Amino acid sequence: MDIEKGESMRLFKYRTTNVNRMGYSFILPNLIVMLILITYPVFRGLYISLFNTNLINKWKFVGFNNYTDVLFNSEFYSSVWITLKFTFFVVLGHFIIGFILSHILNKNIKGITLFRAILIMPWLIPESVLAMVFKWLFNPVYGLVNHLLMKLSIISEPLSWLGDGKYAFFIAVMVCIWKGFPMIMMMILAGLQSIPKTLYEAGQIDGASNWQKFIYITIPSIKHILATALILDTVWWFKHYTIVWVLTQGGPGSATSLISIDIYKTNFEYFKFGKGSATAILVFFICFAIGKIYERVFKANED
Amino acid sequence: MKTKKVTRNIGYYIILALFSLMVLIPVLWMVSTAFKPEVETFTIPPRWIPENPTLDSFRNIRTAYPFFTQLKNSFIVVVGSTIITVIFACFSGYGVTRFKFKGRKQFMSFLLVTQMFPSIMVLVPFYTILNKLNLINTYWGLIVVYVSMSIAFATWMITSFFKSIPISLDEAAIIDGCTRFQVFWKIVLPLTIPGLVSICIYCFINGWNEYMFASTFVTTEEMKTITVGIAELSGQYKILWNDMMAASLVASVPLVVLFVFLQKYFISGMTAGAVKN
Repeated sequence: MDIEKGESMRLFKYRTTNVNRMGYSFILPNLIVMLILITYPVFRGLYISLFNTNLINKWKFVGFNNYTDVLFNSEFYSSVWITLKFTFFVVLGHFIIGFILSHILNKNIKGITLFRAILIMPWLIPESVLAMVFKWLFNPVYGLVNHLLMKLSIISEPLSWLGDGKYAFFIAVMVCIWKGFPMIMMMILAGLQSIPKTLYEAGQIDGASNWQKFIYITIPSIKHILATALILDTVWWFKHYTIVWVLTQGGPGSATSLISIDIYKTNFEYFKFGKGSATAILVFFICFAIGKIYERVFKANED
Repeated sequence: MKTKKVTRNIGYYIILALFSLMVLIPVLWMVSTAFKPEVETFTIPPRWIPENPTLDSFRNIRTAYPFFTQLKNSFIVVVGSTIITVIFACFSGYGVTRFKFKGRKQFMSFLLVTQMFPSIMVLVPFYTILNKLNLINTYWGLIVVYVSMSIAFATWMITSFFKSIPISLDEAAIIDGCTRFQVFWKIVLPLTIPGLVSICIYCFINGWNEYMFASTFVTTEEMKTITVGIAELSGQYKILWNDMMAASLVASVPLVVLFVFLQKYFISGMTAGAVKN
């Protein structure tokens, strides 16, 4: 980190004793909040995962049985697989759209503010409301989508979009891409705006093509923000719940049964809180592993 | 050269227009529905322009549902949690970038790790905690939960922003006789206003849109937040689409207003914050 070096060290020297304590006091409020509100609930979840419990009067200690139950059940792997597929397509969609749009929004062309305002909209609509709207648009009887597609004679009869596994997964992905791309677009745009113009001018003089400029100037300059955006986006959507729950409740069959939906059902439909918590802990480890893998990949490209 | 530029710009406009259309179709559908009478929401074929436009649904959400109480609830909870989150995030952003103390890096990676816990996982533990503290069905209960939801990413964002402000400023001020807190409050903080605005918007939107926690930790009618209220408009047998869309529109107004006025800051805030890692 850059603050360790240079000028800042002078400041630290003549106040070293106080400096450490002072640093702690600045992060203390935050740390306390996080310990109480995040760490404690997580450990509480860890504790619950070791019991067969209804959280009220039944607390039977079962050790790691909940974990083995989950791990020896093929259902777990199939929902992890569905979730991975779902996350892959959603994140891919976010980054493709995010890249294209942020690239254009970074240009100095007329009316860009208007487009920026429109394109940010999905981020402003609550997930629960959004999911209801899409559910309605895809309604087999009076939905707008069937109507439009039939008018354009792309389909000949109304389709039950959310009632068919093939389409339901596809639609869940589409809706989640729709909801989430503005965040990635904004993050990449922020990165693009931080690249000094002089770099491109230098590239121009050296005779670089647009593509070369993109590969050798743009990408390396925004690598850090890309890495963070990629990790966060993947983890956020891997844990996603609301939109898909409202759209399909995980169905039809298990076509869209994301792991979070699984956990929700285990907890609140079957009241197996121990098993639900155990699955949640496993999800944490998967997310953690994904984060680590990304870090490796980005570090490997460092030089 | 010039014609090439023009054709390229036309290409950009076409792409922008296509994506804008994709975004706008559901949004315009919401707007159009809000002005339809109930019968018209189910007509086949669906109609873009209402045949008999009416303000009934807007009247309904004022009289038939406790909608404005819910709007007020959302507002109190979200503003409260945003203020707390932003204050705490700023303090730690300053602390982490200005002092070299043990555990500083661990603190930053801790922030990222907290993003990896499924929120469903903390749902049950949170309930028991709030229950013990008698915070179920209270503003404070939700405020506390929303703080926990946004604080990690907010801190991460503001920290990278603080990093972009040279430490020599702090030094100069201290030599001039400022205390640490004065440096933080009077010198560094004003320079981070775009960053502050972006994390405020982030926290605000996050809280305003939250559904899962609010629907679990609030059970009484008069304490519900707006997203829960809207979701409940979809009854088991019948969904009053026009009322629901009117409610959604009204609920989106604060966000749109907030964003339209602050988007300049938001982008420059993210820009400056994002540069260094």
